[in-house]
Amino acid sequence: MAVDDYIAAFAHYLRTGDANRMHDFCVNPEHIKRMAVYRNGFYKGCIDALSANFPMCEKLVGNESFRNAAHIYVDHYPPEKGTLVGYGQNFSGFIADFFSGLVTNESQALPVNIADLAHLDYAWLTSLMSADSEQVLRGEHVAWLVAQGHDLALVEVRLSPSVILCDVGASAFSQWLSLKTNQKEDEQGNSASTNDLVMFWRRQGAVQARSLSVPEAALMRALQRVDSTLDSGFAAALEVDPDFDVSDIFSACLQNELLETDMTQYRPESDLI
Amino acid sequence: MAMGHLKANPFSPPRQSEIVGDHLGAGLGLKAEHLDDVLALPAGDANPSGNGLWFEVHTENYFVAGGPRLNYLRSVRENFELSFHGVGGSLGYDHQSMPAHVKQVKALIDEFQPRLISEHAVWSRVDGRYFADLMPLPRTHDALQSLIDGIDVYQTGVGRRILIENPSNYLDFVSEMDEPQFLVEAANRSGCGLLIDINNLYISSQNTGIDALAYLQQIPASLVGEIHIAGHDPDPELGRALLIDSHAAEVDSSVWALLEQALSIFGHQPVLVERDANIPAFAELMREQQKAQRFLDQCTYKGSR
Repeated sequence: MAVDDYIAAFAHYLRTGDANRMHDFCVNPEHIKRMAVYRNGFYKGCIDALSANFPMCEKLVGNESFRNAAHIYVDHYPPEKGTLVGYGQNFSGFIADFFSGLVTNESQALPVNIADLAHLDYAWLTSLMSADSEQVLRGEHVAWLVAQGHDLALVEVRLSPSVILCDVGASAFSQWLSLKTNQKEDEQGNSASTNDLVMFWRRQGAVQARSLSVPEAALMRALQRVDSTLDSGFAAALEVDPDFDVSDIFSACLQNELLETDMTQYRPESDLI
Repeated sequence: MAMGHLKANPFSPPRQSEIVGDHLGAGLGLKAEHLDDVLALPAGDANPSGNGLWFEVHTENYFVAGGPRLNYLRSVRENFELSFHGVGGSLGYDHQSMPAHVKQVKALIDEFQPRLISEHAVWSRVDGRYFADLMPLPRTHDALQSLIDGIDVYQTGVGRRILIENPSNYLDFVSEMDEPQFLVEAANRSGCGLLIDINNLYISSQNTGIDALAYLQQIPASLVGEIHIAGHDPDPELGRALLIDSHAAEVDSSVWALLEQALSIFGHQPVLVERDANIPAFAELMREQQKAQRFLDQCTYKGSR
């Protein structure tokens, strides 16, 4: 018996539930239905991972509907890497299609914002597991740069790895937040927001999230670009709102460790704070 | 997700050739639910469970670039020895994507220097798909060579000797040798050691009618580097005619009895209590860990190494 044939037949069973091709490999044909243990284990592992990675989606649609959708997602987008950490990269697009009936031909009531909620769930997860920042720009760095006569506006900065920007519909974030905190949307103080860019970041091990104002969004998007400087970021913000207070937002960025810069450009590593 | 900036390791690596768990006692699978309990434990001599307590993690759960998950593990590692137990390596088949997988394992090993590293003698990946479960190999010469090739890629990639675990069997597949022969041959030809999962063995014996004691007696003690015990459940439809490796219940009395026999054959080995579902309070798991430790304390045979 060639191992290739055995694996091909086993994989066919796992994908389809059709065990006919496994008969040649099973000692006792009556036991072939026991292979369901492996197939059930495969689906359970994947669906449990999706449940863990998209908790607010599950909360919105309920456990049974979520698991039905997740089961079909596994068929369409099986895991490719040998880990389920981060599994569900395509889930937000899929789940919107699922609930609009595009996947199953059984149109179901499309929960409002379901794709956006999935985006937000995944952005939260991505921020949680992102790399730790090793070149955080801190207040003492800024003070040193100014004292040494560097033009702060020209300092190259980038967003810390845990900063994730997420475009969603106007009410999605407040809905996501209300699901996460078990509070009604109107208790969040964000329900009237028209912002469509949500920023996630990690501080002291915990993921933070807030919706951004229009100039804040312009600033963050500008800082996402390669070779961005504080000047280019602030210019983008002031372009959409000439009254925008850049010093306040800069302080907030420093406090929340949102920015990185390579201080070795300005002084030797041995002399770093 | 890409691996990020793992830190330089402050721990001494074990020598490459040794099976390194001799001094370990009974360990526990580390669960996220219990991290605060674990971090509150006194370390070393002050620990009431003795110096031998250690923790095992599923290696792939730490395939993250950074963040609190790795930081918690760093905190645990400051006080306790670790074992890295892989579940997604697919040693038995489809080794094309294994180097990228092993590279992530290696980065974690370099930082955390686990005492033990293990994987499974199974397959889980084919044609770019990862079937997230532990599928048995047919025990044929062809499959044996595929497994040995996979172990070789893994051991070369991580730069350490690993242990491979016997699978849970729910039915018999056409085979050219029995499982102890298959595993021992794989170990002898690849240079790896064996992790004997007593619960898997008990389940296999009940599901397929093999003699568990005769199985243990075919395994040279010198190859064994770790033992697992766990709970199992009857199949919801077939009842005890089909036992499922659920890790969702306390360790069954039959498994404890088989552990005692295994220790009399293999001598003192690191014993891990696994629990992956229906997670109880930490104190309850510690009671099982302490029971396993008592089995080890009463084990007079210290092994052939």
